[in-house]
Amino acid sequence: MDIVLSVQNLKKQFRLSYKQQKLQNTDKKVITAVDNLSFTANRGEIFGLLGPNGAGKTTTLRMLATLITPDSGDAFVEGYSIVKEPDKVRSRIGFLTGELKLEDFFTPNYLFNFFSELYGIEEGVRNSRKRELFSRFGIDRFAEVKLANLSTGMKQKVSLVISVVNDPDFIIFDEPTNGLDVLTAKTVTDFLLELKAQGKTIILSTHIFSLVEKICDRAGIIIDGRLAALDTVSALTAQKNLEDVFFDIYAARQGGAQ
Amino acid sequence: MKGIIAIIKKEFARFFLDRRMLITTILLPGILIYVVYTLMGSVVSGLVSGDSQYAVAVKNMPQSLSPLFSTVQQLQITDADGNDDDYKAQVEDGRLALYVVFPEDFDEAIADKNDPAFQTLQIEMWYNSADENSSLAYSLFVGVLDAYEESIANLFDVKDGGYDLASDASVTSYILSAVVPMVLLVLLFSGCMAVAPESIAGEKERGTLATMLVTPVKRSHIAIGKIVSLSCISLLSGVSSFLGLILSLPNLMQGAFDGFSLSMFSVGDYFMMLGVMLSTVLLLVGVISCVSALAKSVKEASSYVGPLNIIVIVVGLLSSFAGGAASPLLYLIPVYNSAMIVTDIMALSVSPLAFALTMLSNIVVAGLLVFLLTRMFNSEKIMFNK
Ligand SMILES: Nc1ncnc2c1ncn2[C@@H]1O[C@H](COP(=O)(O)OP(=O)(O)OP(=O)(O)O)[C@@H](O)[C@H]1O
Ligand SMILES: [Mg+2]
Repeated sequence: MDIVLSVQNLKKQFRLSYKQQKLQNTDKKVITAVDNLSFTANRGEIFGLLGPNGAGKTTTLRMLATLITPDSGDAFVEGYSIVKEPDKVRSRIGFLTGELKLEDFFTPNYLFNFFSELYGIEEGVRNSRKRELFSRFGIDRFAEVKLANLSTGMKQKVSLVISVVNDPDFIIFDEPTNGLDVLTAKTVTDFLLELKAQGKTIILSTHIFSLVEKICDRAGIIIDGRLAALDTVSALTAQKNLEDVFFDIYAARQGGAQ
Repeated sequence: MKGIIAIIKKEFARFFLDRRMLITTILLPGILIYVVYTLMGSVVSGLVSGDSQYAVAVKNMPQSLSPLFSTVQQLQITDADGNDDDYKAQVEDGRLALYVVFPEDFDEAIADKNDPAFQTLQIEMWYNSADENSSLAYSLFVGVLDAYEESIANLFDVKDGGYDLASDASVTSYILSAVVPMVLLVLLFSGCMAVAPESIAGEKERGTLATMLVTPVKRSHIAIGKIVSLSCISLLSGVSSFLGLILSLPNLMQGAFDGFSLSMFSVGDYFMMLGVMLSTVLLLVGVISCVSALAKSVKEASSYVGPLNIIVIVVGLLSSFAGGAASPLLYLIPVYNSAMIVTDIMALSVSPLAFALTMLSNIVVAGLLVFLLTRMFNSEKIMFNK
């Protein structure tokens, strides 16, 4: 099995400001968002990170995308360390998350060109990729419309397209269908399956169980920053559906904690 | 290198394709400054001189005084021989600006001014203080009388009114050198303030900077690209304001500024001016960018930058006291050195060493600020402090 991503004991803590302590209704000064997380993803699979709100999914993915650095542990993307060689990792991945925004002032066409330039992509390659992706998502009709004037769905499609501007082999999607209507959400999941068919590796975070059941090959369930289960989706759902599996795990953990 | 160019192109596109930004940060400042200063100039000069003429009726005009009054073109003097009340009525309704009655034997009485029995002469004047023309005519007339009174008392004179050894050019550039550096610094600073917080804190606040941070482009390239492009834009804004200021100076100072012309300065002076402005703007943009990177929003950035603005004004003011003879080492102090060099250029006495030190110090400090900004782009605590 060809391992594309290897996560080894990743740990991340956040220091809470007084204001954050009050907001989260806690007197803890430090919160452990990701706690000794380890897993691997194989080439050509869709790996799902499933967990409730605040479980640490986004924090994990931000570390993998090199936006933030782990307190301890490391992860390797195609063999490159996210801690020691972040530049190498950055040029090999695509990352889509709500936190990364595109400037409203520009058009999809301009943004595609701009980000292609940041990745150092040749003009010919860029243009053919742009034509293909824009027509695939129906962006071509809006190519010269400022983002500010696009609908939420169209904006999300532009973000999606920009996140794979460099044609990465390893793609990180954080809640890619959040806030989208069923039609747009389906375009997105279809695209994920298409990428998989091209042999790309995808890691996907979500709290939607059905999405995992539908498109993921393997999944890890994470609760409070720790991995509570990790297996192929077919093995996880051998007895019950994923939602019930999750409730069982959650109840067992709560029981153990008390 | 490609990354730097891509960032610069993007910043320029963001700015130059946005008509509103273009107008408010480049066109308007220059035009506003020109219009406001020109208006101020014409209001002031309208009060002082003006081309208008005032009708004045004078009874018993003394022979000794009439040649004096004929040199004051604004006063149109006619002899009065009618009834006092007629003239007073004319002053009241504005047909006449001023009515003056001299004692009949004015000249004879003045000739006896050393006689112990001499009594101070009474001149009667009627004017209308509610009428601007009348008031102006009154003060002009009194001014001439005062000058005459002084000349007949004549105890001493300044020979030929004194000999001014300064050439026209150096008088005007002396005035310029006191005012311009401070104003210039303030204008440059406000140019930088109009673009840098928006581009750094704004992009951070809107989450568009993070999108660039996940691409492989080097953080140092983002920092350089931002500072270079923002400096160019700020410089344009600064040059626009500066042109507005310089072009309006002759209008603002009216007659007092006859010797001033833009041709006083050589091409070299203009290049040095541009050089200082560019290096200063690099430095200011660097400082404002670093401060903006710390802020969570454009609003917060602006509130941090405000106090810096005051420091720059104070430094500009201080420099106008020093200038010229200062030790070359002082030209290593950023901002202060820029103000001093501008003073020197305006006074037509800039030393090449001082100029070189200024450029060197500003550029080195700007380089350090690029380094600092790169460190900040690398720090997740600073980039993602919610
Ligand atoms: N910058 C930060 N400062 C302080 N706490 C943080 C920070 N980022 C995340 N956290 C905390 O870390 C925990 C994990 O957050 P994270 O966003 O990774 O969860 P998530 O699994 O993505 O949840 P969701 O489904 O709501 O997106 C949460 O308790 C969150 O409040
Ligand atoms: Mg999340």
